[in-house]
Amino acid sequence: MKTPELYFINEAVPDTALPQVKPEPWAATRVVGTAQPRVDGYERMSGTAVYPSDLVLPDMLHAAVLRCPHAHARVRRVDASAAAGMPGVRSVITGDAAAADLRWNYGRNVFTKLFDPHCRFEGEAVAAVAAETPQQAWDALRAISVDYEVLPFVVDERRALDVGAPALHEGGNRVGDVERYERGDVTKGFAAADKVVELEFRTAAEIHTPMELHGCVARWDGPRLTIWESTQGVYPVQQRVAGVLEMPLANVRVIGSYMGGGFGSKLQADKYNIVAAVLARLTARPVKLFLTREETFLCVGNRPPANMRLKAGARKDGTLTALEMTCTGTGGAYPAGGTSLVDWLVRDLYACPNVHTELTDVYINGGPSRPFRAPGHPQGAWALEQTIDALADAIGMDAIELRLKNVPTVSQTREGRPPYTTTGLTRCLTEGAKAFGWRDAKRHPKGDGPVKRGVGAAACLWVAGSGGPPSTVIVKLFADGSANLNMGASDIGTGTKTVMAMVVAEELGVALDKIQIENADTATTEYATASGGSKTVPTESPAVRDAALAVKRQLFDLAADELKVPASELAIDGEDVVSKKDQKVRKKIAELAGFRRRGVLVGVGTRGPNPENKVVNPFAAQFCEVEVDTRTGEVRVLRFLSAHDSGRVMNPLTFESQVIGGVTMGIGLALTEQRVFDRQTGKVVNRNWHDYKIPTAMDVPADITSLPVAPPDDEANTTGTKGLGEPVTIPTAAAVANAVHDAIGIRVTESPISPMRLVALLTEKRAGR
Amino acid sequence: MLPNFNYVRPSSLADAVRQLSTPNARVHAGGTDLLGCLRDGVFAADTLVSLSAIEELRGIRPSLDGGLAIGAMTTLSEVAADPRVADRYPVLSRAVAAAASPQLRNQGTIGGNICQRPRCWYYRADFHCARKGGEKCYAAEGENQFHCIFGGEVCFYVHPSDVAPALVALEALVRISGPAGARSVSAETFFVPPSKDYTRETVLGPGEIVTEVVLPAQPRGTRGSYRKVRARGAWDFALAGAAVVATLTDGRVTRARIVLSGVAPIPWRVPAAERVLVGQRLSAKSAARAAATAVEGAQPLAQNAYKVEMLRGAVEEALAALL
Repeated sequence: MKTPELYFINEAVPDTALPQVKPEPWAATRVVGTAQPRVDGYERMSGTAVYPSDLVLPDMLHAAVLRCPHAHARVRRVDASAAAGMPGVRSVITGDAAAADLRWNYGRNVFTKLFDPHCRFEGEAVAAVAAETPQQAWDALRAISVDYEVLPFVVDERRALDVGAPALHEGGNRVGDVERYERGDVTKGFAAADKVVELEFRTAAEIHTPMELHGCVARWDGPRLTIWESTQGVYPVQQRVAGVLEMPLANVRVIGSYMGGGFGSKLQADKYNIVAAVLARLTARPVKLFLTREETFLCVGNRPPANMRLKAGARKDGTLTALEMTCTGTGGAYPAGGTSLVDWLVRDLYACPNVHTELTDVYINGGPSRPFRAPGHPQGAWALEQTIDALADAIGMDAIELRLKNVPTVSQTREGRPPYTTTGLTRCLTEGAKAFGWRDAKRHPKGDGPVKRGVGAAACLWVAGSGGPPSTVIVKLFADGSANLNMGASDIGTGTKTVMAMVVAEELGVALDKIQIENADTATTEYATASGGSKTVPTESPAVRDAALAVKRQLFDLAADELKVPASELAIDGEDVVSKKDQKVRKKIAELAGFRRRGVLVGVGTRGPNPENKVVNPFAAQFCEVEVDTRTGEVRVLRFLSAHDSGRVMNPLTFESQVIGGVTMGIGLALTEQRVFDRQTGKVVNRNWHDYKIPTAMDVPADITSLPVAPPDDEANTTGTKGLGEPVTIPTAAAVANAVHDAIGIRVTESPISPMRLVALLTEKRAGR
Repeated sequence: MLPNFNYVRPSSLADAVRQLSTPNARVHAGGTDLLGCLRDGVFAADTLVSLSAIEELRGIRPSLDGGLAIGAMTTLSEVAADPRVADRYPVLSRAVAAAASPQLRNQGTIGGNICQRPRCWYYRADFHCARKGGEKCYAAEGENQFHCIFGGEVCFYVHPSDVAPALVALEALVRISGPAGARSVSAETFFVPPSKDYTRETVLGPGEIVTEVVLPAQPRGTRGSYRKVRARGAWDFALAGAAVVATLTDGRVTRARIVLSGVAPIPWRVPAAERVLVGQRLSAKSAARAAATAVEGAQPLAQNAYKVEMLRGAVEEALAALL
């Protein structure tokens, strides 16, 4: 296996030119690495930023989608005649409409119609309405009568392969062949072990539920279509929409400059984009189509549930001898990577000669999954990092020490076992443990009363996070010294715009408030892949640096003439160009006559290739302390520390924000979140923010420490950066589970560790069961 | 999407009662529950009668017998912040503070809080359940981890209010106005169990409005506390909880009220557990005995057996807080 299948980068991407020069790594920096507030912080907080969901266009109609209320059904007949005549209704489309005769590709050669009569999950689109007001659209939806043949369903992936389980697809409920990985010989490995532990785990399905709902505004201008979309990547949306509608790419413009969160669920186009475009076409009016919160729980992705069995063996000295994992998961009703990357940590996080994994992906009558912050990894970490703890207990070794015994220097799974540019795992574990006070905390008494304290740790790497080509960026420096940064990448709330502006400021001395950023618009900004996979900073920042350097070279050529100093001896100091040899020889950039005549300097930058035969992965280790009320099963997380090897810290503020956000999300997996299907009907019963419990501020400790431990990874790319957004949430839930175990001696193998589950386990334990 | 409705905002109680007699009219107090029900299609309304302009329904004032009278339109935040409530009725002040989230407490009213509709996820979604005129209670055989272990019988929801158990524990009175005039009922009899009528949650008749909650003066030596266990730290209803009030004379309990939340379709008083305490000293031991008695007779469903032990813990901790 050369590179793991990253199904969130599944579209063909064009090559970009190589950078013109390979600059030296930054030695000292003036702007990069300093704490800078968001360049668009005011706009976001004050509400003046126009998100796609805020957009109002003249003559705009509002659309809504009628969705199948059954887990599995066949549409026999749709009668929309009453709806079509209702006040304000401008268009109703159903599966019979010629305009809706389009194919939707669910991947792996599974195609359906836009409104397919075979509805394989609750929430599949059945019809749509465009009307003058949202209320009229929803009233019209209620007036559409659909005759469904309700079919038997299966929503529990553990039952999907049972004899007699209803088949979702002609070939049955297996998505493909069982995915197997093997190295060495696990039988021999377990035989060589002094201790072997084997545990079964389950993580529940989670819903992304970002603050901004999924949706778009679509408008036609002759043959050209513009879509304002809440998205992590405008180019993948353009590609998909143009493909389905059989339009030239150039005629589909997608704009997504602001967006309110996605966590992986907005890396792709959705059927609603096509529905909005078709309705806008039919009505010759702009159409706004945003889903309701409830709809987003059904049909725009989830983190797949994972059922994992893990067996691990080690010698007394802590050397791992064998790891074996089997996993059954589901991406829902269509192929969606239901088990994708669940075994990656088992394969690659620790040095181990004998590894065997088997992944079985099945169909159920549930909404299709989408990548969710570190696909597969938090699930795998939940199993692996709890098993490693159990193994440490079994051989009587400290859990951190056991991990340190098995730190790999190469990627064992990838062909040729290439080395990592940096393996920060050792530093994350040792420096993290020290800063957390691990050894003292482990000795801390658990408490005499009913409330017990415990500490836990877990580690991770992230399979991607190197970033890489393609990316093209344009930087324009105006003659007054202000600049314009043009890039295709979305800022998904992580601070991308801020960090990229800081790179421009670093190279060109432009103050951050004099940099205008244009981004995420397929018509006016340069090609970028979607912001996901923790790759935006390591992908885009070298391209931005390359573009800024291209401007700088031109600037120095101009200044060389005027200052009578060779260009190679010039530097930028504040707003001046200055001779490196004689600081008195200087001139304000804005006062360079040649520059004023030119008006603007344009630099085009691209992202160069990653180092050959090396792997660039971020690493992390997290530590936490919890309190468990053994009478009620309540768990309180008291503090968290997150140690990271993610290369250079571009901006400590955005870095820390990622850590806090990732830990918060991981606490959700650990303690509160799970999708619940009704066993009687297959419908999702928790589809709002009350019944589906994302953590509140009261569930997250105020004490979260961000601890970057590694220096810039200068081998990785020209900014020394690696991804961060996913490692921050991978080990979190496992660390909490390990802390709970430390507190009360109960290993909770199924997520979430809700008071419901924990009090039941405590009761069992007390009863000696 | 909210459906269409007429909205009226009378400035007198009499006018409000009159407006409520129009077909399919509903009371709008804070709206935190009502608007959700309308949006989710739990029920429809042709007219919403807002009580927000009726001054006499607001505020907290001393009652004639030395207690406090709380206007139905007083917000939960106002109740929580009131020093008289905190001082004399700590069980209520804690229960109010445990409800929902700060934003919801700023908007939600005490009258509305005790008139909440069930939070059952079947009732709130597109399931045609018994309470909505359908054939069955989906929770009986379905996803019932959040449902009741006492008093279900035909409908297994749990009463969502934290405030209501505190009011029952305090032996509060609920004042009601309606087409036939004013009346008062005890908080304990205000709530209707499914065994009596599974289509309603309170004794309110057509056109009737809760106008005031009256807290009687508490005997000297009375203490109170509320313990709530929930699945997350805020903005969540009780999985199990207990409002406890005890009067101590010379170190011994002379009167005790233990009322459970999150485990029954009404605030669930457990007189047997109260009797365990009376005549005893309040101690960890007597608290544990009372807690064990409180969970006797629980009838868990397939997925909520955990509530029995959790409830025992909550009662124990609530009583321990009185020590």
